Amino acid sequence: MTQTSLTLCCKVLCVESDDDKPLASPADSLALIAQERANLERDLTPDPRWMFWPWGFAWLLGFGLFFLRFGPDGRVFVDLPEWLPLTVLSLSFIAAGLITGIAGGRSAMQTRGPSSRQGLMYGLTWSIAFTGMGILFAQYGDALPDDRLGLLWAGGMVALTGALHMAGGAIWNDRQLFILGAWTSVINVAGILVGPGWHSLIVALGGGLGMILAGLLGWLRLR
Amino acid sequence: MSDGTELDPVIHAQARLRVVSALSVLREEDKVTFPRLQESLRMTAGNLSVHLRKLEDAGYVEVTKTHQGRTPATFVRLTRRGRLAFEEYQEALRALLNPTSPSTSSEETL
Repeated sequence: MTQTSLTLCCKVLCVESDDDKPLASPADSLALIAQERANLERDLTPDPRWMFWPWGFAWLLGFGLFFLRFGPDGRVFVDLPEWLPLTVLSLSFIAAGLITGIAGGRSAMQTRGPSSRQGLMYGLTWSIAFTGMGILFAQYGDALPDDRLGLLWAGGMVALTGALHMAGGAIWNDRQLFILGAWTSVINVAGILVGPGWHSLIVALGGGLGMILAGLLGWLRLR
Repeated sequence: MSDGTELDPVIHAQARLRVVSALSVLREEDKVTFPRLQESLRMTAGNLSVHLRKLEDAGYVEVTKTHQGRTPATFVRLTRRGRLAFEEYQEALRALLNPTSPSTSSEETL
């Protein structure tokens, strides 16, 4: 009842004072609301460029070098030192992990509550899952030929990345993240079936560029 | 200023509408640090404190003082009551913009 009379009152008054009080116009107020909501949301979300680009470039560069040095059927497209691709891949992964960890952690420090706990658990999931998988694969160091062993490591890592991105999409109801994960999973299977060498190329281009695109789209969406 | 008193006067002040709007982005039970909120709203700390006090008095926000390690930290969140008031305020604004919409007419018949 009070609500109704207030609303009516307001309507009459606003119609009367429409032109001399532009700041009081409902449209301006709604625009202000939308603007402040977008501002804080952007400020609290880790910059998608910092979250995706380090990984995108790491995949592009690391798996790209693998393809050039250890091509399909033992071909060598560029005669790089044998140790180089794995070293570059490992170092760029460590760098990417640090960058996304810092960017995600800094944004998690801005809030407290269920959402930041969710973010922390998601971040820990990545570390724990990759550590566990690494320990398992390390047991097969002597049991497989080099190209098969490389495919096991790369295919396993990419599969886990795809799965965790899809899970992230499910947790935050983020369609774009889910699509990225599903895309990564599909190209990984395609690469595994085509075989070592091609897998590196497919993952470097499809996965690496996919993450760079995801970072760009996420950034444009927030801007 | 007469129309300012008709809609919820606590939120109707432009500065407090901005504060509540920003806080409404947070999910229930989530809270944001004071400096982050201040920076996002581009307000001075003193100004934001004054408006937060008024919103706190109305029961619309909850201000928690705590520690992050050794540094004191202040967190702000929108209470359930504040969220409800904000939603009603937005509905009132939409009703003003769109007086012929069905939601308004049903409100008038109440």
